[in-house]
Amino acid sequence: MQQFMDGIFLGSIYALFAIGFTLVFGVLDRLNLAHAAVFSAGALIGIEGVTRLGISIWLAIPLVMIAGAVMGILIERIAFRPLGKRHDAHFGGLISSIALGTIILALLQARYGPDTRRFPPEAFPSTRFEFLGATVSLLQVVILVISVSLMLILTWVVAKSKLGRGMRTIAENPHAASVLGLNVNRITSTTFAISSALGAVAGVLFTLNVNAASLGLGHAVELKGLAVIIVGGMGSLPGALVGGLILGLAEVYAVNYVGSSWRDMVAFGLLFLILILRPQGLFGARKTREV
Amino acid sequence: MMFEYSALVTLIALTAILAYSFYAVLLAGQLSLAQIGLASLAAFTSALVVPAEPLFGFIPPLVIGIVFGMSVGMIAAFILGLPVIRLRGVFLAIATLAFAEMVRIFLINQTWTNGAQGMSFPKLVGPVSAWLVLILVAYWFWRLAGSRLGRAFDAIREDELAAGSMGINVARYRMASFVIAGAISGLYGVLLAYFSRFADPNGFSFVAAVDGLVTAVVGGVTLFIGPILGSVFLSVLPELQRTLGIDAGWIRPMISGVLLLVVILFLPGGLSSLIPRRKSALKLETDPALMPALAPLPERGTEIVRLQGLGKHYGGVHAVREVDLHLEAGEILGLIGPNGAGKTTLVNMVTGLIPPSSGTGTVLGNTLTVRTRAHRLAKSGVARTFQQIKLFNRLSALENVLVGGYRIGKDTLLRRLIFLPSARRHERELLAMASTQLARVGLADKAATSAGDLSYGDQRRLEIARALAAHPTLLVLDEPAAGMNHVEAAGLSELIRSLAGDGITVLVIEHNVRMMLQTCDRIIVLNFGEVIASGEPADVARNPQVLEAYLGSDADDDAPHGEQGTGRHAATTAEPEEQR
Repeated sequence: MQQFMDGIFLGSIYALFAIGFTLVFGVLDRLNLAHAAVFSAGALIGIEGVTRLGISIWLAIPLVMIAGAVMGILIERIAFRPLGKRHDAHFGGLISSIALGTIILALLQARYGPDTRRFPPEAFPSTRFEFLGATVSLLQVVILVISVSLMLILTWVVAKSKLGRGMRTIAENPHAASVLGLNVNRITSTTFAISSALGAVAGVLFTLNVNAASLGLGHAVELKGLAVIIVGGMGSLPGALVGGLILGLAEVYAVNYVGSSWRDMVAFGLLFLILILRPQGLFGARKTREV
Repeated sequence: MMFEYSALVTLIALTAILAYSFYAVLLAGQLSLAQIGLASLAAFTSALVVPAEPLFGFIPPLVIGIVFGMSVGMIAAFILGLPVIRLRGVFLAIATLAFAEMVRIFLINQTWTNGAQGMSFPKLVGPVSAWLVLILVAYWFWRLAGSRLGRAFDAIREDELAAGSMGINVARYRMASFVIAGAISGLYGVLLAYFSRFADPNGFSFVAAVDGLVTAVVGGVTLFIGPILGSVFLSVLPELQRTLGIDAGWIRPMISGVLLLVVILFLPGGLSSLIPRRKSALKLETDPALMPALAPLPERGTEIVRLQGLGKHYGGVHAVREVDLHLEAGEILGLIGPNGAGKTTLVNMVTGLIPPSSGTGTVLGNTLTVRTRAHRLAKSGVARTFQQIKLFNRLSALENVLVGGYRIGKDTLLRRLIFLPSARRHERELLAMASTQLARVGLADKAATSAGDLSYGDQRRLEIARALAAHPTLLVLDEPAAGMNHVEAAGLSELIRSLAGDGITVLVIEHNVRMMLQTCDRIIVLNFGEVIASGEPADVARNPQVLEAYLGSDADDDAPHGEQGTGRHAATTAEPEEQR
């Protein structure tokens, strides 16, 4: 039971990170590899807020979200929009977002140095509960609640709101969307802002959970995030949630049964298997190649 | 100081070799990140077989390591390729990245690699050997460009579907690029280990893979020299920085990030696109004596196509039902019908792009089944144009037509490597063939223009020239006159008649009815997927059913893209921004 719970908590962070990834992919068909840098940035900015400004973690989280959103808008403006309709925009976006991710990390290094940083121990109450025979910390509950509620809100936004309708229209056909009078640029910017805000919050939650943040934090999670969105299905929000949980559980059980040194094999083995057996992922729609 | 520079010089060569392993897949329009895993595999396994002393007293250990490493890389790439090669774009990138990570984790957990502590290697590689190997690799890629293999890669990168209908076995060539990349990765892994005298599996990480990719992209894939430029540039930069005394830890990643961004945004072709290309690289070859000897076309009256009860349905929608059709050598058969009548679906079945759901069909001796592949039919002599133009846009008009000559060409890479005159002769023959076809459609003066920059009508004509370069028995034209004015259409009609005069069988779909009546020997009219009339043009034109279904409606000169919205044709219209 304890493992099950741990797996769920770990998985919900993966899911939160992956949702930002998959949102951009679902709408724009582009993979934003600067997402990992936003994740690291979220963690470090959150730590600075709590330690230097002395604000509470509850205030730091919304601040980090705003910072993340700003980064998202910048990423879209700098790394994606200039590529426009270039025939290799798909590939170009990968490279330009890697480049921008490198720049963001360099700036973080300039400000925070290469060392590992932590939240002060009193930043978060260390209350613990007993639940169905497992020990659960308040932090874990909060992580789960924040992740799930953000995902629910987002799913609602995409499915029901005007913004969501705009996103889905652009996903279908950006050209037609602009002909219909949708402000494609603004909706795209908003998508990036939401995506990066979630990525930044995921960074804070992850750091609270493992209590250490370094520049390289994002890279390890980035690979996991890729695994999650592939397993769940590219562009699918419920897929990212379920994929995240599956990965979290699989990792926790893997540590228990095959040893921690093989843990990461699980994520990539799973990812590989899904790509071979069901490339569209568990929840993705199959895109047929059109002639 | 000297030693320091010799290390830098060697590293430049090694990084360039890694970049070539990315270049090899990028050439064919694929993005693989498996290279670093393959390199790691090759490096560690080579330690198991490379002897300390020369084998048989004269084969140096390094040579054994290189041969072994390249073989490991190729074999592993092939095995990996079997399941993943059908993936595309980011999916391929992620799957191969997962593979690389799995290799890393596997090697870390092995005792023979010492896990994360790493393994030491004897020092066998210095600047001279590294650069020697690099020059060989670069030379190979230089000779690749312009060979049949190189042109096939170009075609696949630009448009897989069109490449397939030129007779190029896309799956096999994608695998080839994968295996080539595997060989170079293995080479890199071995060289790196025996240069740095130490390797641990964590060194072959995602970050290292990204470095290799970045080097390849910064250098550019438009010219074989790209990876070397990228490597020199990115390796010398930090040195410069150190000389200038800028030493903060974050400046180096900052500069490389900014540079990479600048290159990808403003210099999409990479550094190699700054090198002025020789204009004379490819010229028309007008000497008729050089035309290749072509196999004779079948005798007039030979059966080319026979369809019986052929049908295609998507779910409950019957795009084509129960079509019987036969076509004899040298005939011009017209296929007309309102938008959404199933014409393109029918020719897609005839050219092997989609399998029929029911009925039987034989095209040039090939039975149409689920296993029929477009490139197989193209090999036996079917060439086609597309309703939605599918040219290789970034290649010149002449290069497009040269790709079309794939079917009648032979592989020249090995002969090119040693500059055998027969390769040169063979290439000039193909060039003569391509030039003739280009001239035949009236585009000789636009040979050097990029296909994407041609006007709409010229693009249609170029597609025909490309199809003709394959010396086809059966030529399938899907709305060739769309976007042409009446004068151009009349010229096209004349061209089609002259092709039939040469013995080529032509199957043509067209909305320009006047032109069809003048051009075709026979016309078949489709409506709602069924044949409603067939016969000589004059009879068809008088058929009341046809008049009602087609000529009577005002659909005849409608926009050529009208079929997009009809649902039943959803699978036959091109999606312009396919995943690459």
